[in-house]
Amino acid sequence: MNRTTMTIARHAVLRTWREKWGLISWLVIPMMLVFLMSLMSGGGSSPKPHGKVLVTDLDQSVLSQFLIGSIGQGPTAEFFTVKAVSKSEGQRLMDAGEASAWLMIEKNFMDDYLNKKPTIIRLRKNPAQTVLPNMVETGMEVMVDAADYLQMLFADELQRINKMVISGKYDDADLVALTLAIKRAIDDIESTLTPPQIKLEKYINLVEENQNKPRFNFALLMFPGAVFMSLLFAAMSMSMAFWDDKANGILPRLAVTPHGLRDYFIGKTAHAKAMFLITSLILMAIGVWYFEVDVTLLPLLIIWLVFSGVVIWQVLLFFSLLMPSRKSANIVVNAAMLPLAMLGGSFFPAETMAEGLAKLGSFLPNGMLLKAIKDVMVRGEPWQNALLWPFIIGLLVAMILWFINLRMVNRLAREARS
Amino acid sequence: MIKIQSLTKRYGELIAADDISFEVNPGEIFGLLGPNGAGKSTTINCLSGLLKPTSGDISINGHAVIGDGVAAKKHLGLVPQDLALYEDLSGRENLNFWGQAYGLSGPALNKRIDQVLAQVGLTDRQKDRVETYSGGMKRRLNFACAILHQPKALLLDEPTVGVDPQSRVHLLNSVRTLKEQGAAVIYTSHYMEEVEQLCDRIAIIDKGAIIAQGSIATLRKQMGEKDLIELKGNFSSIDVEVLKEYDVQEWKDNQVQFWCEHAASKLSEILQLFKDCDIKETSVKQANLESLFIKLTGRALRD
Ligand SMILES: Nc1ncnc2c1ncn2[C@@H]1O[C@H](COP(=O)(O)OP(=O)(O)O)[C@@H](O)[C@H]1O
Ligand SMILES: [Mg+2]
Repeated sequence: MNRTTMTIARHAVLRTWREKWGLISWLVIPMMLVFLMSLMSGGGSSPKPHGKVLVTDLDQSVLSQFLIGSIGQGPTAEFFTVKAVSKSEGQRLMDAGEASAWLMIEKNFMDDYLNKKPTIIRLRKNPAQTVLPNMVETGMEVMVDAADYLQMLFADELQRINKMVISGKYDDADLVALTLAIKRAIDDIESTLTPPQIKLEKYINLVEENQNKPRFNFALLMFPGAVFMSLLFAAMSMSMAFWDDKANGILPRLAVTPHGLRDYFIGKTAHAKAMFLITSLILMAIGVWYFEVDVTLLPLLIIWLVFSGVVIWQVLLFFSLLMPSRKSANIVVNAAMLPLAMLGGSFFPAETMAEGLAKLGSFLPNGMLLKAIKDVMVRGEPWQNALLWPFIIGLLVAMILWFINLRMVNRLAREARS
Repeated sequence: MIKIQSLTKRYGELIAADDISFEVNPGEIFGLLGPNGAGKSTTINCLSGLLKPTSGDISINGHAVIGDGVAAKKHLGLVPQDLALYEDLSGRENLNFWGQAYGLSGPALNKRIDQVLAQVGLTDRQKDRVETYSGGMKRRLNFACAILHQPKALLLDEPTVGVDPQSRVHLLNSVRTLKEQGAAVIYTSHYMEEVEQLCDRIAIIDKGAIIAQGSIATLRKQMGEKDLIELKGNFSSIDVEVLKEYDVQEWKDNQVQFWCEHAASKLSEILQLFKDCDIKETSVKQANLESLFIKLTGRALRD
C-alpha cells in the first residue's frame, strides 16, 4: 500500500467512525434478530429431551404472557411443556424436583416495564438437571434483552411483535416487514440523533434462584447466520459509498490525480477489510461470551469472516456499480439483501429450511461461505476440508470482480450518472 | 506549459468541443469565456485527463495527458466546477486528504496547508466541518485543495459561481498570486467582467468552437470602437432605412440593436429618429467582450 491508498483508507475509516450509527446498526440488528428468531422461528426437528416448565404469572399482562409464551413457542416449544401454576404449587413441584424450571412474574410487571422501572422475573432451576433449565435461562435472557432493546428503541415494532405473538402467527412476510421496520427505525435514529445519545439501561432483571451451570448453546446454530447478516449490512453500506463519492465530486477529482482511482480502490478495499475486521472482532467477542464459540477457533473465524465480507462486498458492489443511477443502485442492493439473508441462512438456519431452498442458498456467496464456517463451528469438521473449496471459489469471484469493479469505478468517475 | 491541439470531443451526434487549439505559457492567465453549454467544462475535463478526447493532442509540461498521464497530472491542479469535498470532514482534513493524494506528507504538507489556508482566508475555520461552511467558503476550500502541490498548470472551471463578493476577491487575488509565481492558468467563466479583469489572453467559445481568440487588445480591435445600442418600443411603422448610417445587428418589431461610435454623445440625435416609436427602454453597451460575443453569435452571453 502506498501513501494515497493509506490516506483513502484512513479517511474512510475516520468517516465511518464519525457516523458510527451505521456501524452500530450493522451489529445490533442482526444480534437482536438472532435473539428474536431463535425464539420465534419454527425450530429444528431432531429428537430432544423433554421437560416441564412451571409458570406463575401474577401480572397476567400482554408482556408477561409474551415473555412466558416465548418459552412455549418456537424452537423451545419442542423441549418443554409449559404449565401454569400457583405460587404454592410451583414451590411444591420444584421442591419435589418434578420440573426443570419455574418462572415467576410479579404483579405490575408490565406497568413497571412501560414506566421504565426496574422489574424482575424470577427463575428457579432444577439443580438436578443441566441442559433444560439452562435452555430456559438462555431463552429468558434473550427475551429480556430483546424486551429491553425493543422498549428502548422500537416502541412501534414492539406493538407489532406483541400482535404477532397474540395471534400466534409469524410468517415470513411479517418477519421481513419487521426487519425492515427495525432497520428503518435505526436509520431514523441515525439521522435524528446527532450526536447519538441513547443509553441502554436494563430495566428488567432476571433473578436466578439457584447457581447456574454451563449454558446450553442452542443459539449457536443461529449465531453464525446473524454474523453474516452483519457482514451483509456492512457490505451493502460500503457498496453504496462509491455513489456518495461520485455525488460529492471526490471520484472525478481523484481520477485526475497522478495515481488516480486505482489507489483509491485499493484504499477502499483496505477500508472494507478494516470494517469487516472490526465487525468480526466485536461479534466474535459476543460469540465467545454468549454463544460459547470455541476460543481456539477465533483466529480462523475472524480471518474467514473478513474474507467472506470482502467477497460479499465485491458481489454487491458489482451490482451497485452496474446500475445507471444512485437510486437504482440503492434499490437493487437493498432488494438483494433480503433474499441473500433469507436464503443464505441468516434469518433461519439452513438446517430448518426446506431442502430445496437450503440447497439454493448454498449457491449464494454468503450462503456458501456461511455453510463452510458453520461446518467448522457447529459440526466440528476439520477446517481444511470444510473451507478449501469455498475459499478457492470465493477468492476467484472476489479477484475477478475486483478488477471488473475497478473498471466500473473508473467509468463511474467519468460518466454523467448520478 | 499547456498545449492543446485540435481537440474534439463528441457525445454521439453532439460535438461538445470542436477543433479547439490554444497554448498557455507559464505566468499567463488564459480565459475561456462562453455561455452555459459552450463546452468549457468539456475542454477542461479533457485537459485534466478525466475525459478522453475523440481526437486531438493535449500536453502539460511536455507530457501527453493520454499516454504519459502520471507525469502530466503531477504538474496539474484542477478546481472542478462542482465542489469535490468531504462535507463530514473539516477543512483541514480535506486539505490533508488532497495533499496526500498529490504525494505530499509530513511537516511539508502541514506547512503547505497552513499557507493555503491563510491564502484563501480560512485559517479560523480550518477545524470546522465543511458542511458548516458557506457556499463561498466551500468554493475557496475547493480552490485551496487544488494548489497544495504548487501545480505548474492550474485549471479553474467557473470557480466563482454562486460566490459572495468577499470570496470572489479572495479567489481572484489567489489566482493572480499563482500567476506571479509562474503558473500557467486556464480560467473559465461566463462572467465577462471577471475574464476581462483577470486574463492576459482570452478565447471566446460557443457551441464547442472557439470563435475569437487573442489578447484583450487584439479582441478590442475586433470589437471596434463601436457601442451597441438597444431600443425597445414599436418599430412596425418605420423602415430599417432610418438606420442606414449605422451597422444594424437586429431589427424586430419590438426591439432593435445597432452599432454606433461614441453612442453617448449621439443618443439624443438617435432617439429623435425614433420619436414616433413609443420607445420604452434604451440601453447602451460599451464595446466589450459581451458586445463582441453578440456581434459574433447574434446572442447574448447570458441567456
Ligand atoms: N456526459 C455527457 N453526455 C452528453 N452530453 C454532454 C455530456 N457532458 C456535457 N455534454 C454536453 O456538452 C455540451 C458542453 O457542455 P459543457 O462542457 O459542460 O459546457 P460548459 O461547461 O461550457 O457550460 C453541452 O451541450 C452539454 O449538454
Ligand atoms: Mg461547465
